[in-house]
Amino acid sequence: MLVIQIVLIAAAAGLVWFFVTNRGNSKASAGFKLLFVAFVMLGVYAMIRPDDLTVVAGWVDVGRGTDLMLYCLIIAFAFTTVASYLRFRELEIRFARLARVVALQNADAEDRE
Amino acid sequence: MVAGRSRNPRPATGDDNSGNADVWLIVPVYNEAPVIGDVIANASHTFGNIVCVDDGSTDGSAEQIRAAQQVAPGVRLVRHPVNLGQGAAIQTGIEYARARPGARYFVTFDADGQHRVDDVEAMIERLRAEPVDIVIGTRFGGSQTLSVPFLRRIVLRSIVFLSVRNRRLGLTDAHNGLRAFNRTVADDLDLLMNGMSHATEFVGLVDRHKWRVTEQPVTILYTEYSRAKGQSLFNGVNILADGLLHARLRR
Repeated sequence: MLVIQIVLIAAAAGLVWFFVTNRGNSKASAGFKLLFVAFVMLGVYAMIRPDDLTVVAGWVDVGRGTDLMLYCLIIAFAFTTVASYLRFRELEIRFARLARVVALQNADAEDRE
Repeated sequence: MVAGRSRNPRPATGDDNSGNADVWLIVPVYNEAPVIGDVIANASHTFGNIVCVDDGSTDGSAEQIRAAQQVAPGVRLVRHPVNLGQGAAIQTGIEYARARPGARYFVTFDADGQHRVDDVEAMIERLRAEPVDIVIGTRFGGSQTLSVPFLRRIVLRSIVFLSVRNRRLGLTDAHNGLRAFNRTVADDLDLLMNGMSHATEFVGLVDRHKWRVTEQPVTILYTEYSRAKGQSLFNGVNILADGLLHARLRR
């Protein structure tokens, strides 16, 4: 069980670190898309040939292929949660700035009256 | 009256607030209609310039402020078209105030009547006299520590104890809404935390910009009204999460 723990935790940490430090540039967003495509293709492959996945799981000392899939899914979910939180915060900030400009313009117009 | 009592209550007419013409009070307002009129009327005896930022209130707070403008002409009203949060309201108020000619000192002041005008006067005096950029109120400086509700005291104390930054800067109160600062601070201030996390963010900005900071013991009037409206302690969790991820946001 030790191998998979190290691999998954390192993958999670690496992923989060890469995307969080490179957010917003084209490299990161291209990387995200490639990663997503790879993830989906792997998922489809695993559905068609589940036994292959179990073999891969055996290499890293995980009992079944479904378990391996589940671990990967948890990592992916945690990652998208962080990514969408940051995305929402950025939108909030832009929204607040927009609303602020409107508020200040209205107040200035009123002051001139 | 819910607002802070002055030691020398002045009559409503013949106010002498001309000495504070370079001071702007920034009051974020969100659904404070029962008290906001009294709070600003009381504060305007001492500080003529007050900008109330109505953060999309739905309870007639704006009408109360309009009514107060009749007796206190220096009161200004800026209205957010939608509710954005207290941090955003403070930032809007500061941007309004710093664009006014002659504005030199700025104060963030709560709308619920828990801050005392006397404390603000003392803080402004220190800004004028001492080489500091910002004076932050603390509930733990003087003799009034025990008036802070027990659970709240424990939580606030723990936040400060756990924060390396607070200890380095010598700050004893993590989330005091009463702050007075000069133009240096106002010009560079850019609060991004829309909600309640702006207090932590404020301290972070003090640290980053190396503003000279000091504390002033203040009395918080925990009225029944302000207690009911006060932020829930669960907010501490939100504040913590915001703080952790905040550094990663693009400005």
